[in-house]
Amino acid sequence: MSNGSTLIGSTSTPAAPVVVAAARGARWQRWLRGDTWVLALAVVYFLALLPVAPDLANPENLQLILSNMLPLLVVALGQMFVLITSGIDLSVTSTIALTSVAGAGTMVWPALGLTGTAAMLAGAVAMLLIAGAVGATNGLAITRLSMPPFMVTLATMMFFSGGAIWATRSNGIPGLPEALATVSQEGFGFVPYALMLVAPFVVGAHVLLTKSVFGRRLFAVGRNAKAARVSGVPVARTVFTAYVLCAAFAAVGAFLYTGRLETGSPVLGQRIFLDVIGAAVIGGVSLFGGKGSVAGVIYGVLFITLVDNSLNILGFSSFAVLMAKGTVILLAALFDAMRARKVAVRA
Amino acid sequence: MACVVGCALGVASCRKKDGRLTVGVAFETLQTEYWVASFDIMHAELERNNIRMLEAISDGDANRQLEQVKSFVARRVDGIIVAPKDAHTVIPMIKAANRAGIPIVIYNRPPAPTKAVSVTIGTDNFGITKNTVEHMCTLARQSPAPAGKKHEALLVMGDLGDINAIGRRDGFDKATADCSDVLEVVSRVPSEWNQEKALAGVTNALQAHPNISFMFTSSDFLLPSIMSALKAAGKWEKAGHANHVILGAFDGDATAYEMLRAGYLDADGVQDAYFQSKLTVQAILDMRAGKPVANVKLDPGLVVNQSNLGTEASRMWGAAVAKQKAEKPQS
Repeated sequence: MSNGSTLIGSTSTPAAPVVVAAARGARWQRWLRGDTWVLALAVVYFLALLPVAPDLANPENLQLILSNMLPLLVVALGQMFVLITSGIDLSVTSTIALTSVAGAGTMVWPALGLTGTAAMLAGAVAMLLIAGAVGATNGLAITRLSMPPFMVTLATMMFFSGGAIWATRSNGIPGLPEALATVSQEGFGFVPYALMLVAPFVVGAHVLLTKSVFGRRLFAVGRNAKAARVSGVPVARTVFTAYVLCAAFAAVGAFLYTGRLETGSPVLGQRIFLDVIGAAVIGGVSLFGGKGSVAGVIYGVLFITLVDNSLNILGFSSFAVLMAKGTVILLAALFDAMRARKVAVRA
Repeated sequence: MACVVGCALGVASCRKKDGRLTVGVAFETLQTEYWVASFDIMHAELERNNIRMLEAISDGDANRQLEQVKSFVARRVDGIIVAPKDAHTVIPMIKAANRAGIPIVIYNRPPAPTKAVSVTIGTDNFGITKNTVEHMCTLARQSPAPAGKKHEALLVMGDLGDINAIGRRDGFDKATADCSDVLEVVSRVPSEWNQEKALAGVTNALQAHPNISFMFTSSDFLLPSIMSALKAAGKWEKAGHANHVILGAFDGDATAYEMLRAGYLDADGVQDAYFQSKLTVQAILDMRAGKPVANVKLDPGLVVNQSNLGTEASRMWGAAVAKQKAEKPQS
């Protein structure tokens, strides 16, 4: 009997553990290639720090983390579109500054005679229009003049940042409508109003990426622009749209940042570029293009906000926080490079 | 164990167990000696009062500073001290502290008019600058410009979005208007609190007006730029030399102290960082105790010049910093 069972199993039993192990390995690799590990990392990080930083789990602090995430999330989602095309938008911080002063200027412009919600909405429209113009400038220079995205957006970063400072002579624009502060800072119970503003953009970005022709074209351009062109993908139009979307999402971020500070500032967002790129890369958006997801960016933003918040709670100086974030982002970029190499070898 | 580790790391939630108060201190920058010295003096003053300090530096980012202040609020600190980036972006921070009933003191840069409640510990920028420039005017009268002409004066301004820079400019304008019989302001250099811009601006001004013989900078941290520009123009000379430019500055840092000692700097308007830190901590304690506290308290400061350096140097925080720097290599 025992022999029989051995015989029966002689063809399958020794191979079974190998097959199971291989399946497990494949599942593990798939998990690593996906986005969920970033969420798991954030949860593990949070739980590991709880004994030494119990304030992390304080409900007020959790609410703070959520509200800190929102403007960064919407800006990082915009950058995601560009990164997927294997481009980069360095001008995103100047777009935030420029739209902040343009929007705030519109809200308090006496000639318009608007107050309250109407003034806020007029400011929001101005911000989106200005952002659209910035994105279109970047997109046209990159697609029509075949200039490298790095150079184009570096130049526009300097130009628009200088423009914001020049237009305001370095001064902030205060006296903004109360409605703007309410939308940006307050909420319904635990849920900030800002979440209701950001949520449609998150859902919209997800639908665009996963359910639309534009999303498929975006990935195709990022993986191989030449092959995409040969296959009939309108590469220039796709890249152009990505830059316009990036700037428009930055304007939404600027709207929230401006409301939080109750001031239009020509230097707003100047120091968040590391966070924007870091959140996207940690969230699995590839710097080499062709890869990215909305869920990944959400997890990346959560992780980077958590690192920031926890290190502040632990009493680390801002310089130590910068070093820690830099290290995390470097590791994420390294992971991305290794993954890209693996894909190249397979191909 | 967690509490021991947490307290060692400065975690606020352990404060109630050891009975010490916890105060969050959020500085916009540690870019210049003044801010570093103020931060250190504040730390020492809080320690002297047996208060634990939580620190946060936002590196010039107003939004980050707001997040840091909200983090202090979430951790229910006993008081908040903010050295803000500007007068407007600090208002949401004050409102957040007000909502939580936490006393908040604004250090060195007063907020714009608002209904939100805070106490400001500031510097009499106008008065200190006016007194400093008046002393320089006295020196100008004692050493008339050649050929019976007026002294040509230059002002290095700060960032005019900063209310402190405006106060210093106005103090300079008032003092120079009062001695317009001996000097004429021929150039105003906007530095935006940037050393490179100051160097470029002063160099250009010296080329356009080679007879400039009277110079005031709105902050000591711009003195190295001014020294470079004056050296390049062959005007970096000690008091008493024919080519000496009557030079005044503001803050009281170690560079200014050394330049005063060496005879290159004629007068320095000094912010008394020790006095301001003392006022700041006392304001937090008084507000917690429900005592009435004035909305604004100004440090009258002092003018340190060549003639009173021996007696007043001890009130100049830069003198202590210079002494520490000198002692460091030996230790």
